[in-house]
Amino acid sequence: MNKTLVRKSLLIVAIALAAALVLLRRPLSLGLDLRGGTSLILRVNVEGTSTDRIREVVEQTRQILESRINAYGVSETSIQLYGSQGNELLVQVPGVSDLSRVKDLLQSRGVLEWYSVEGGPYRSPADAAAEFGGVVPYSDKLVATRPSPSGERMWYVVRSQPVIRGTDLRDARTSVDSTEQPVTTFNLTTDAAKRFQKYTADSIGKRSAIVLDDEILSVPVIEDVIRDSGEIRGAKTVQESQDLAVKLRSGALPASIELMQQHTVEASLGADSMHRGLEAGSAGLVAVVATMLLYYRWAGANATLALALNGLLLLAALSCFGAVLTMPGIAGVVLTIGMAVDSNVLIFERIREELKAGKSVRTALTAGFSKAFATLIDTHVTTVVSCVLLFLFGTPPVKGFATTLVLGLITNLFTSVFVSRVAFDWELAMQGRAARLSLGMSGSAQTS
Amino acid sequence: MELFRNANFDFLGKKWWFILPSLALISAGVGSIVVQHGLLYGIDFKGGTQTEIRWDGIPPIGNIRSAISAKLQGVTVVAAHGTGSSNEVIVSTALSPQENVVAVRQTIENALSTISTRYSILDFQVIGPQVSEDLRHQAVMATAGASGGMLLYLSYRFRLGYAVAAVLAMGHDAVITIGLFSLLHQEISLTVVAALLTLIGYSMNDTIVVFDRVRENRRAQPRAPLISVINRSINQTLGRTVLTSGLTLLTALSLLLFGGSVLHGFSLVLVIGIVVGTFSSVYIASPILLAWDRRFDGETLAGGLR
Repeated sequence: MNKTLVRKSLLIVAIALAAALVLLRRPLSLGLDLRGGTSLILRVNVEGTSTDRIREVVEQTRQILESRINAYGVSETSIQLYGSQGNELLVQVPGVSDLSRVKDLLQSRGVLEWYSVEGGPYRSPADAAAEFGGVVPYSDKLVATRPSPSGERMWYVVRSQPVIRGTDLRDARTSVDSTEQPVTTFNLTTDAAKRFQKYTADSIGKRSAIVLDDEILSVPVIEDVIRDSGEIRGAKTVQESQDLAVKLRSGALPASIELMQQHTVEASLGADSMHRGLEAGSAGLVAVVATMLLYYRWAGANATLALALNGLLLLAALSCFGAVLTMPGIAGVVLTIGMAVDSNVLIFERIREELKAGKSVRTALTAGFSKAFATLIDTHVTTVVSCVLLFLFGTPPVKGFATTLVLGLITNLFTSVFVSRVAFDWELAMQGRAARLSLGMSGSAQTS
Repeated sequence: MELFRNANFDFLGKKWWFILPSLALISAGVGSIVVQHGLLYGIDFKGGTQTEIRWDGIPPIGNIRSAISAKLQGVTVVAAHGTGSSNEVIVSTALSPQENVVAVRQTIENALSTISTRYSILDFQVIGPQVSEDLRHQAVMATAGASGGMLLYLSYRFRLGYAVAAVLAMGHDAVITIGLFSLLHQEISLTVVAALLTLIGYSMNDTIVVFDRVRENRRAQPRAPLISVINRSINQTLGRTVLTSGLTLLTALSLLLFGGSVLHGFSLVLVIGIVVGTFSSVYIASPILLAWDRRFDGETLAGGLR
């Protein structure tokens, strides 16, 4: 008897140590709602893409965005697939000051094209058409410049077929020219370089248009034959020209992107919620533990031990699953604590009943645990069943809630049934033959 | 210490004392939802923007409202709830389809700066209409799926009557809580949904504990009338019901009192839900079980046996 008891206790201690070790090595990270930062939900426009290609397009987009964000140098930014439709991405950026820059990096497709200019600038598409006798020729098309700060645009007529496109680029960098203006330089692949050389040789003195995402960046005049590299000027700041280089390097996105949702939490608010949540949680916990001790005496201490161990195991399990603690996750933790308290109360009340029915301490303990266990299985499995369905149909936050709860229920069965039983067995083993349980009952009811 | 020694209350005999107020609560809640043309959804569910602003001094709510209303549609400005400092306001706006999601924050900041520059934005959220539609859809699917799953499992473990009673009691709690939210003019946000899920879990738990005892007692005394078996079962589990609910209520109350604005909606649902859920296991689930038994199973020997 005592040997198995020692073995069981050692098992519990080992599990507790392992959990503590896991938590020390990989502390639970907090969600953006608790530590501040921005989360963005982007939708990749996959309309017209065949179903079997959607995955590929979205994954490619994710990788390109990741490389852009990494180039920007925001550490710990994560981009994950989001939602049930398979075409949404969740971008989480911890504490960024210049959000509009990040959004620009994420949202612009980065499609670079180089056209030869046929005419312009014009004040409006109508002016341009008038110049060509009412209709822009079939082989040409109209492109607008980027709006100036006052919101004005100019229009150019260019050849429909671009000389160079994004896929022709090999590399892009930023430098500063002799007049201290930022310049983005790019290199071309061998194939494209041949084409470009021929084009520039034929069109010296003519104008060309550098177009990014269907907007003209600049209209340089070709002064010399260019082989395998080109320059883009016109960026107002070094930063802007750097971002352009990043976009060109990472390649163009295979599909356009739409911003669906944005949530920014200031770090101070996140810390405040966290702080208050912890404070309130511990106040509640202290009240619960105090009541349990008052009501159940030693058994209350037993329950407290089980509760603490449950908390430790749950946090460790969450950390193993790489979970991030967010508000809905905390809801799951709170429910778990409630159910853990309930399990103990259920078992203790049952033991009391058995004692009142005149059973001996050991028999009452065994009967109480086994009868309460049947109830616990029903309540726990029902909750797990609902969690599985929540996980299948729910949105990501709801999934987090369901995962936390299921993990909590498993750890709870272990602590409230196994650990608590071992603690009771110790209590009896220490007392020897005429053992009594400290359950806060009026004394006369127990026989050994 | 013991709360109840040999409790022997006639719960089912006094059921109308609780069913009637509960019906009154449900009709008040549903009535308030109808009168207000639906629930007060947070932007999670209807799309739009929400900005939490900390003002340096008392915020001029009227001025803020008119300044932003001039630029955007569907503007509401309210003082942030709960927290000690009343210097925080929450500005919500609708998002028209043409509006650029990126530009809204700038528009709001521009409008605010016409009043004062001494403010800081704590929390800013934009949710597109598509996302919120998906969310509503998924919330309905998840709830229906979870209820169906529990119904199946419980009718397997108990009998159909028990399962129906438990799920109806759970629905009763959810309806009352949502109704009270409407009566109290509280917004339904994603956090509130998480709390609703929590409360459904508690309520189910409570009901199953009672039903488990009913099943056990029926096995022991198959010939006893169900009404007395249920009454005895409720009495036997009374100590655990009161203690567990009391302890969880204690936790929820401390979250409500000390948890701050972010936890306010969440803990309010829990506090309401725990109280309602505790009563519903006794006064809603058990009478339904009894009624079902009389209607479909008769007072048969096998009733409740498996």
